[in-house]
Amino acid sequence: MSTERIIQAADLTFIFNALRSVNQDISTVSAQVNSVGAEVSDTRSNLARLEEAFLKFVAADLRAKELALAETRQIKVRQKLETDFGYYAEVRRQATGILQAADVNVVRAETIKAATEGLMLSAPRYWLAPALVALAAWFSDQKDLSRRALTEALRRDDEKTSLFFALIARRAGRANACRTWLDRYFAMQDPKLLDRQSVVLVDALAGGIFGGEVRLQCTRRIESWIEELSLQAGFIDAQRQQWKDGLLIKLPGTDHAATYSHLKRFSPTWNNLNLSLRQAELHEAILNHFTGIFDGPLTPARNVEVAVDNLLDSLVKNFDDEELPLRREDRLNQLIIEQAGNRQAAESLQALEVKALDEQVSFTQLLTNAAMTPELSHATRATQRYATALSRTWIREAHDDLTTSFRAHVPTNVALLIEGWNGDTSKGDNEAELLPSLGQYLDAERDRVLATFKLSAIHWFSVVFGVLMLLFSISGGWIAALVGAFSLGWFFIQKNKIDKTRAQLKEAAAKKKEQCEQALKATLAELVEWRRDLARRDARAEAVTQFIDSISPDQYVLASHDNARRVIPTA
Amino acid sequence: MIRKLLTPGTTTATLLTTAPKTALIISQAQIDARLRLQRSSAYLEAIRKLDAGGHTRNRQAVDALVDAIRAEFPEIAIDSLPVGIVAKCYLGEPYEVHSLDRLGNIITHYKRHEAMPPMLEKGRVLAGNPYYEFVEVYTDKIIAVTPRGDTSIVKD
Repeated sequence: MSTERIIQAADLTFIFNALRSVNQDISTVSAQVNSVGAEVSDTRSNLARLEEAFLKFVAADLRAKELALAETRQIKVRQKLETDFGYYAEVRRQATGILQAADVNVVRAETIKAATEGLMLSAPRYWLAPALVALAAWFSDQKDLSRRALTEALRRDDEKTSLFFALIARRAGRANACRTWLDRYFAMQDPKLLDRQSVVLVDALAGGIFGGEVRLQCTRRIESWIEELSLQAGFIDAQRQQWKDGLLIKLPGTDHAATYSHLKRFSPTWNNLNLSLRQAELHEAILNHFTGIFDGPLTPARNVEVAVDNLLDSLVKNFDDEELPLRREDRLNQLIIEQAGNRQAAESLQALEVKALDEQVSFTQLLTNAAMTPELSHATRATQRYATALSRTWIREAHDDLTTSFRAHVPTNVALLIEGWNGDTSKGDNEAELLPSLGQYLDAERDRVLATFKLSAIHWFSVVFGVLMLLFSISGGWIAALVGAFSLGWFFIQKNKIDKTRAQLKEAAAKKKEQCEQALKATLAELVEWRRDLARRDARAEAVTQFIDSISPDQYVLASHDNARRVIPTA
Repeated sequence: MIRKLLTPGTTTATLLTTAPKTALIISQAQIDARLRLQRSSAYLEAIRKLDAGGHTRNRQAVDALVDAIRAEFPEIAIDSLPVGIVAKCYLGEPYEVHSLDRLGNIITHYKRHEAMPPMLEKGRVLAGNPYYEFVEVYTDKIIAVTPRGDTSIVKD
């Protein structure tokens, strides 16, 4: 009785109001938490964008600094080259000048002699200076001086001097002298370790400088070099490897992510797919390189004097080992500038080129360098043709092996990863099988999330409590009825809220499913296109094979200047 | 006039294979050079018959195939011969490739996604490539053979 009185006396309106207010506050806080969640998600994506932009900025800044440094270093290196080896340039300029002056007989022998002796004094270690003194003495018929100067030139650099005089003897039309000098030059050569200037000899042969017996002597020597090298164990393997490396210089660095954006986004296999496509592109690059070498007429020099002068220029300009370290540094700086400050790319390019700048190479490496990196090995187009033709069997085998290796590594199964769903496809033709699998995964994912939004024990308790209180109110008065009504009311509010959230989640999940299905379809379509693209590019390998098969070495030696008919116009 | 160093149809490998045909060659370089030579049409024909069906249980046919391999490389010791041959299967879907396992003397047809023995599996991708007739699988390399008998080698 006393308890009933206390309940009747208590005013619960305040508690109900407070509870309602708490409920409203919870709803407000819940909405605020949701909005904070959305903002956090926004902030996170902004932060990711900022990080990306920052990393890009750092990379760009590094590249800009490397670029500026490379430009400064290049100026320094070139200055050093000028200071240390500048006087070489003076000597070089005079070499062909003296020959041409003697041709037209416009300079007095004394002047030439005085000039060369001056050079001798200013270039104390350079082989070309005494060689020019010997040449001047030869013109002025001073046998003794010529002999002494020649001895000194041979002492300084026997090989270059021998080649130099072989070419000069050829220029003067002295076949015997030319043969003797060439004999001397050949006697010093080891086909496993040739000096880089030997490319000048191949240039001379391919350019048709040598006639008759000398030409035969050269081709025989080249054949014997190849035979000698072939006897070495593992030579053929080394050739193939050398040519594989040579061909790989042409591997394009294209990133196909823009064309295949869905594959890039949704396939963990993308890097391999991109690599395979780049490798297949190599065939076209190789074909272009070789057709570039063989297409179009060669423009032979007007006469043997001009041809030899060009070779002499090349011999005296390009192959001085003392300058090599500085030249290498200069080349690296040049590559960094060309690669817009990307030092890593420049270094890897230089690593591929480095063999072409080696001091000593094997004869076949010389051929590879001449064919693949003519700008570094200073080979003429005629030499490129000749070198390619001589090496065609190795090129063919290297290309075949490369092609097969590329084909063996083309991904057969392509993995797919879309919003946590994993699948795989081979040709992109199993859409009918993958779509339901993706749908099932996303449905299961949605159900898993929905399962967390359902009526819990406390909700059902509130229903039972509410009903009990209503029943109790029959005998217990209006307060129990109010508590019961409040409890049931709270239940319905909660249920409504949960239903709404579930409906929203279902809608979002349906939207996500549709987007994911679109993404899957687009990815599969891109894969079909990728396979077509790959097949199209890969088919060019056959064209390369046919092109290499069509080359034969004896087609690619220019006719000798001796056989050329010269027509002299009459005045 | 320049002498042709490498006339069409010959390969640099011939420079190394001076030993008589029946004598066994031992050096790895010589074996590689020999294996790179073009395959004979008789050998290609024998391998093509792999697909004629019915070989799986026909011991005689399997033996004939193994003999064809031995006859193709008489100068190569048995341990340097291919451990198996993998080729495209023309039985139709779901069959993808078939293989001759020389050691087990057995021909097996494999369906798409069906696992092959690990050693033979490495020839599967190339066997499915239209440019190659079949693939010889060795312990240290695979050799893809074109319908003309030309070879190319991929080392492991």
